[in-house]
Amino acid sequence: MIRYIVALLFPLSVFSQAEKPHNGVKAPDQNSFVLTNVTILISPDKTIENGTITVRNGKITSVDKILLTTPKDLVVIDGNNAVVVPSFIEVNSTMGIPADQKAENKTGPYYWNHAIRAEFDAIDWYKADEKMTAEYQKMGFGSVLIHRNDGLAQGYGSLMQLGTTNTDNQPYLSKAASFYSFRKGSSPQDYPSSLVGSIALLRQSFYDAQWHAEYGKDANYTLEALTLQLKKPAFFTLDDKSDVFRVKSFMREFKREFAVIGTGQEQFLGNAWDTLKIPVVIPINFPEAFDLKDPYLAHEIPYSELKIWEMASRNPGFLFKHKVPFITSAAGHTTAADFWKHIHQALAAGWSVNDVLRSLTIAPATLLGVQKELGTIETDKWANFTVYDQNPFLYKAKVLEVFSKGERRILQNAPISDIRGTYSLNIDGVKYWLEIAGTPSQPEAKVKLVRTIQDSLTLANKSDTLTTKAKLTLLNNDIAIHFVQQIDGENQAFSLKGDVNPRVFIFEGEGTNNKGRWIKWSALRNKKYEAKDENKQAWTADTLTISPTRFPNSAFGFTAPPKQSVIIFEQATIWTNTDEGIIQEGTVIVENGKIKAIHKGSGTYMKPNDAVVINARGKILTTGIIDEHSHIALTRGVNEGGQAVTCEVRMEDAINAEDIDVYRQLAGGVTAAQLLHGSANPIGGQSALIKLKWGHYPHEYPIKNAPKFVKFALGENVKQSNWGVSNRFPQTRMGVEQVYIDAFSRALAYHQAKSGQQTGKQKDKNITPPAVDLELEALYEIVSGERKITCHSYVQSEINMLMHVADSFGFKVNTFTHILEGYKLADKMKEHGVGASTFSDWWAYKFEVMDAIPQNAALMTNMGLTVAINSDDAEMGRRLNQEAAKTIKYGGATEEQAWKMVTLNPAKLLHLDDRMGTIQVGKDADLVLWTNNPLSVTAKPLYTVVDGEILFDAQKDFIIQQEIAAERARIIAKMSEESKKGESTKPFLRKRKGHFHCNTLGEEESLEVNEH
Amino acid sequence: MKTIIYTFLVLLVSVNGYGQKKYNKILVEGATVHIGNGNVISTGSVGIENGIITLVKNTLAYTYDKSDWDTVITLNGHHLYPGFVAPNSTLGLTEIDAVRASRDFQEMGTFNPHVRAQIAYNCESDVIETVRTNGVLMIQTTPRGGRISGQSSLMASSCWNWEDGTIKADDGVHIDWPSAYTRKWGDPITKTNETYEEQKRELIAYLKYAKVSAGNKDKNTPLQYSAMSDCFNGEKRFYFHADEVQQINDILDLISELDIKFPVIVGGYESYLVAERLKIKNVPVMIGRLHSLPRHDDDAFDLPYKLPFLLQQAGVQFCLQNEGDMEAMNARNLPFLAGTAMSYGLTEEEAIRSITLSACEIMGISKNYGTIEVGKKAVLYGSTGSALEMKSNQASLLLINGIFVPTTNFQTELYKKYKTKYGK
Repeated sequence: MIRYIVALLFPLSVFSQAEKPHNGVKAPDQNSFVLTNVTILISPDKTIENGTITVRNGKITSVDKILLTTPKDLVVIDGNNAVVVPSFIEVNSTMGIPADQKAENKTGPYYWNHAIRAEFDAIDWYKADEKMTAEYQKMGFGSVLIHRNDGLAQGYGSLMQLGTTNTDNQPYLSKAASFYSFRKGSSPQDYPSSLVGSIALLRQSFYDAQWHAEYGKDANYTLEALTLQLKKPAFFTLDDKSDVFRVKSFMREFKREFAVIGTGQEQFLGNAWDTLKIPVVIPINFPEAFDLKDPYLAHEIPYSELKIWEMASRNPGFLFKHKVPFITSAAGHTTAADFWKHIHQALAAGWSVNDVLRSLTIAPATLLGVQKELGTIETDKWANFTVYDQNPFLYKAKVLEVFSKGERRILQNAPISDIRGTYSLNIDGVKYWLEIAGTPSQPEAKVKLVRTIQDSLTLANKSDTLTTKAKLTLLNNDIAIHFVQQIDGENQAFSLKGDVNPRVFIFEGEGTNNKGRWIKWSALRNKKYEAKDENKQAWTADTLTISPTRFPNSAFGFTAPPKQSVIIFEQATIWTNTDEGIIQEGTVIVENGKIKAIHKGSGTYMKPNDAVVINARGKILTTGIIDEHSHIALTRGVNEGGQAVTCEVRMEDAINAEDIDVYRQLAGGVTAAQLLHGSANPIGGQSALIKLKWGHYPHEYPIKNAPKFVKFALGENVKQSNWGVSNRFPQTRMGVEQVYIDAFSRALAYHQAKSGQQTGKQKDKNITPPAVDLELEALYEIVSGERKITCHSYVQSEINMLMHVADSFGFKVNTFTHILEGYKLADKMKEHGVGASTFSDWWAYKFEVMDAIPQNAALMTNMGLTVAINSDDAEMGRRLNQEAAKTIKYGGATEEQAWKMVTLNPAKLLHLDDRMGTIQVGKDADLVLWTNNPLSVTAKPLYTVVDGEILFDAQKDFIIQQEIAAERARIIAKMSEESKKGESTKPFLRKRKGHFHCNTLGEEESLEVNEH
Repeated sequence: MKTIIYTFLVLLVSVNGYGQKKYNKILVEGATVHIGNGNVISTGSVGIENGIITLVKNTLAYTYDKSDWDTVITLNGHHLYPGFVAPNSTLGLTEIDAVRASRDFQEMGTFNPHVRAQIAYNCESDVIETVRTNGVLMIQTTPRGGRISGQSSLMASSCWNWEDGTIKADDGVHIDWPSAYTRKWGDPITKTNETYEEQKRELIAYLKYAKVSAGNKDKNTPLQYSAMSDCFNGEKRFYFHADEVQQINDILDLISELDIKFPVIVGGYESYLVAERLKIKNVPVMIGRLHSLPRHDDDAFDLPYKLPFLLQQAGVQFCLQNEGDMEAMNARNLPFLAGTAMSYGLTEEEAIRSITLSACEIMGISKNYGTIEVGKKAVLYGSTGSALEMKSNQASLLLINGIFVPTTNFQTELYKKYKTKYGK
């Protein structure tokens, strides 16, 4: 009641600020009225029929089932049984933002990196786009949150009210939200050039903003904006469905909230949504079918793409079933027809009408904090609603009118009533039948004349009906009917114009007949039109069960998530890698991901009922292969090549759990790997030590509590010798040394400044602590020995140099990787205590490897070094057992030595040998069962087990191949069917599977020559 | 005693260098002799006179007078193979992949049928040395690039100069068939190549002109056309480099149209899909590097490994080759490609054939090379263990046209040098 009085005293915000001068007399507002006789979808779970909405000054003052007395001061609009739906709210739009605007190189109080543009306000660049606005209104949207999609931190978005006349681009809500992405956008700077770099830069800028908020004295508009944006909704645009985990990681680190703008492939993350707890905005512009004209090109379409197409419309339904409170976006649609087509498809595929409405109204309103003003048709909210001829969620409806803050815009005149039926039509005394069908808003008419003619043969009279199509137009209660009748070869044209009495369905008026004479006519409805087909729902629930999605979405993904089970390998020949050597016949029992027991001979042991018992007689059981140097399972860049020192980047941020090479390497017996940054810079990024957990999420790949590692590189790659023109320091091996000394010195100074602040007994207010510097943090970890180095290296001079630099700073280099001239200074390496991880036989691919010899690994082993054989190559990575065998050939290594080079020794180099690398009770159950001696070219893995889960099974692989062939054929047939129906298709563009190499620059995988 | 002879011999060879002394009558005995045509003699004797194989017998059933032979080499327990052949390789034309000055395999221009690899072949290549000691004794040194890359030649992996190293000069012309799908350098997107028909027409027109030209024994035949005249009559091969079904089908059509006598498909990743046609038309395939990743995500992980088996089952003739990343240095792994073919369906002897006799048949030199049979040139590789296995391929004898070649290379020398330094 009090509220009501206040509203009366200060009728809304009309007088909020001084008005702009008018040219002429101020036009009166027309935003107060009563809309009656409508079906009102008040909110997702409340609908009233025959309702009335009262609106004053643009706001809803009441919504009633029956209005007893119409306010005398208000205009009444008869809704004529139309359906009123709250206007939708779009949160992901770049409407009105010029697409060609590039990030400028701003100088001044801005962040040093122009991919961070938090101060940017989209409203500054906004220009109303009438065409798109009209299309949004036809879709049913009343307000749109616009932003510029450029850069990592993209700045503010504004919520725009559509359809009001006097706004002058005035946003409904300015700085309504902030936007972020994983793409650096149009920034002209080199850094960042990869996903890992982008993430590091975003993190660094968040830390800088924190520091600036507390200690900053100089103005910095970017950092100030970042801080302000903490209090507002923030959206993160994803490039890939798995990016949602990356956003979650930001949320944990900075204890803040984000909503994500998804990809439409959310369902392929499966049950992850049960625990993700993150607001998500999904697109529903489902992909078109592929053009299948060329069967050879169709052959190139991967199963995953086919499945994305097939499942697309099920995505909203999937999220609905998993109770994810998602928001639906029309992004990607250019026409309302497509938008509604996709809504209906999704409804057919398991979504619910209520939830569609929720996802388009309450959900976005709540996220933006405007749920008290927008989103439903309730008292005190803005009169933002759309009037349809029928329920748009069920039928192919048309938007008749749009109300925007109470301002009415008529898109299409509503029919005065449903005039369809059969009429007796009297034209100047002649009786015709008039049949009106079609839809209420677009009636179609036929005129029939029944006459009696004489049969020329029998001379008998008989009745004949002459039917003529007529053109009928109905505007309010004006009706016009025009038809041309052919009688005995003569064209007779009639034009009739009249009024409709909608209550008794009588038409009356005048017109011209075939002779051009003015005549009177009238029509009276005899029979109502029988609604048969036209009121058919726009969709029917799709009850077809289709084969489930695979996880990951790949031909070789799992249909059910892999689970740890009790696995018993019976009567295996066990290569223990311990002092026990080879157990000729024994049993290994795996439970809870660990090796639980090893029995020699045929011991007795419990077999739980659900145990997987594998008869391994005559087969070799080994521990899994560990690849010390790998670049598989990474996405969008392996090198942050923008700078010489980039240890702030973490490969863990870019794990790609859908890389088919993970599966292929499991098929080659690999169970763990160090995913290294590339070799583009002297100090590269932080490694990810992972297990090949095919069928798991990217954040499940890293090994828990693994030691910290970083990639260093020496030689031609960091000098950029083979990459054309380069002007980055260093250009020589001499310069490389200085980069190290400089970096380590800076790290020590940083640490000193930081610890001086922390250890001081009283916080000295005059001394400002250093801002968190992610690069220096990592460098200090390195120089203090906490983070271990794997260093890409070839020639002996530089290897010697790095050991000296490390010694002078009092730490040790952990591993030299590649280390092709290791044999030349194995004695010095032994003294320093560094290990070696090398290729078996590569050489001659560039100048610095001309002295590489395949006896290297064996000779270093003989010198007492811990030596591993690595791949640095997605193909060779699946044959590391064979590469190990080459050390027997070239350097005379024993089989045991050779085998350890791809198992125990890399475990040692990675300081993981306490849990991997041998078959011992208590160690991780990372096991491979081979057909025969794995050092033979004829050996093949039968099973590969990671953490107690069977992730490769040779027999199942064969079955999957058959299944996928059938599945492909099924979906392709479906697709062909679809394109026959006239649905548009698109040509197939296949992203070729490139591979990351040490020297791959940028975010795209390389198809170029690997220079390692 | 016999092993002593063997050791002495190797020592002698390594001191003198290859080709220093001619051994006119050599008997190699005791090894498992893999003939190369699918047959094997578990303990065999092979006699060589003036570089030609004159005797192949079961050692146990053969008694001889020692004085008949000026050299007897006993390889008890070893394996003896026809020298392996590396078809379609840039070996000899490149030394350091990343150093432009050392790359000699790609001439500029689109149509280069007249360009000849033979004369750029570097006998002293360090890379060849390391390939040779794994058993690769013959190389089809092959140019790259353009639509028509040029002519390959068959070379010995040890020679003084390209003249005495030539086994067969200008054995064929290499054509890089246009891809039906656009694959621009650095562009990761595959799409239908809009200009495929045009590129194909251009190439076919060029070949038609060449064919007409070959028929006219006119002295004024253009240089480019005359380079191909022997390719139409079967004297030389046409090597069509192609992997896709579309390409292979179009090539097969062209072969009929121009009546090309000995066409060869090089690469053939998708050849298994058109194996029936290849068999009917009797077109062999030089299968691309087996140690490759599948090209499509949905392909079986081991599809490249079992391609030889698939073609063999379909009755298509094939041999193995190794084109690809770092192919020159990687050519020493050719025997292991055969090893992989063996693990994925071929028998051991079939696998050996795929890098010996089959390769020679396809390239047209099987009359003199490719098997250990009487009358053939003595190109032999002895290994202490199976040469198809990484762990046991260990050179014990290298014989090229009857001339001993050292089983060492500069890498083994470097190895020795640093072993000595460390006193190991």
